Amino acid sequence: MLVTWKYRPRNTFIQSLDPRTRLIFMFSIILALTIPEIWDYRLILAIFAIALTLYLMARIEWKDVRRIWLFIFILVFFIVGLNGLLSGRGGPSSVTNLPSPIIFNVPIKIPFTDIGWDVPITVSKAWFAITQVTRMMTMTLLALPIPYTTDPNVFGTAFKRMGAGDKFAFTMDLAFRFLPTFARDFIITMDAQRARGYEMDKLKGGIPERLRKLSPFIIPVVMQSTVTGEEVIDAMDLRAFGTKPRTWLKVLTYAPRDYVILGLGVAIFIACCTLKWGFGIGGYFVPDFFSNWILGL
Amino acid sequence: MNDKGTWEFGTRQVVYGAIGAALYGVLSWASNFVPLPAAGNVTFRPAVAVLIFFAVAYGPWVGFLAGIIGNTLGDALSGWGFYWNWSLGNGLMGLVAGLAAAAISDFRAQKDIIKAVGWGIAGVAVGMLFASLTEMFVGGIDLNTALVGYFTPAFIGNTVVTAILVPILMIAFAAVASRRGR
Repeated sequence: MLVTWKYRPRNTFIQSLDPRTRLIFMFSIILALTIPEIWDYRLILAIFAIALTLYLMARIEWKDVRRIWLFIFILVFFIVGLNGLLSGRGGPSSVTNLPSPIIFNVPIKIPFTDIGWDVPITVSKAWFAITQVTRMMTMTLLALPIPYTTDPNVFGTAFKRMGAGDKFAFTMDLAFRFLPTFARDFIITMDAQRARGYEMDKLKGGIPERLRKLSPFIIPVVMQSTVTGEEVIDAMDLRAFGTKPRTWLKVLTYAPRDYVILGLGVAIFIACCTLKWGFGIGGYFVPDFFSNWILGL
Repeated sequence: MNDKGTWEFGTRQVVYGAIGAALYGVLSWASNFVPLPAAGNVTFRPAVAVLIFFAVAYGPWVGFLAGIIGNTLGDALSGWGFYWNWSLGNGLMGLVAGLAAAAISDFRAQKDIIKAVGWGIAGVAVGMLFASLTEMFVGGIDLNTALVGYFTPAFIGNTVVTAILVPILMIAFAAVASRRGR
């Protein structure tokens, strides 16, 4: 059981991009959807198609992301989608304020009582749930590939080049370097405690007791790390860390392809703002084809 | 609490911020292998206790850095993606908990342990509330889902972990610190 990054070098267009480009593009899309409050399915679907294309271009193996996608589907469809369908809240007020035909009623009853009521599922709520799920999936498609396709060693440099301070960027860089050491320490501690007869897989008792019993794994690693810290501080102080601006070993440079993706991100953001605030396009509405289809069922 | 010592950002904060972040990331990743207790949709992440402990021991900047970077690392190791609002929420959790640092002088004293746990729980509330509420803008969920589906399970799980494991870490740290004389 070794600590392994999800990142693997792949010869893909996505991985040839500068990590800053990936992060800035993702933020552009999040801002494009959230600041002008885009709920128009046509715009969301177009952005979803771009996000899906980029995700597929990353060529991440299904076996690597299968478990994560399962969790995301449960969260997005059952928690967010179902809530949107029942309540219609979380988006624009027009979802619940405008009159909309009722498809069916969901009877809700408090167990062991006679108290209950009917929750109407309207066409508007049903379309809103679909729109909201698509919107969330768009953002997930952009966020999920980042650890699989970005070299962990360039995160510190990337944040520095995006304007973060030396100390923040160096903390990030140092954390990535410490991680395999602490993972190894954790595994050694776990093996040592098992050799002493500690049965990690059979923690008994209530939740507080079981949490308390995890401390033989956590305490040695954490305490050893505090001692290591003092030694690292001494070494850095001796090298006059923090007295002058730093230079960075890794150099990041934008290539023409980065400008294309950055331009696309900025263009999507500007287009969404212009359409919504300039032309009134991008607000929530239920398309006729959906109303006709669902009421015809 | 707002003296220079509390808000100082030097080599010590950089190093312990990085160590806290790496430990937070490793323990989040280790959750995949160590069977953790759970109740309903509430899971208990021991990594949170480490974050609160680092904040309490080394101050708000260390707590902030350990939270924001540690959550990013944990997500990167486990393959969840990059969710800036949850990373920032974890950073705020450490920052608020770190405000206890100036008020703590003896890591063994009961009153100091209570202060640490109290500030830790306040940090959990602020951090998880921030992450859950920002999900309304980022994901388009409603207030009810943000509070019931996201905030409540995270708050309960992290509060229980903080109340149980932070005192144990503080007592162990008191012994280590007295041996090293720092």
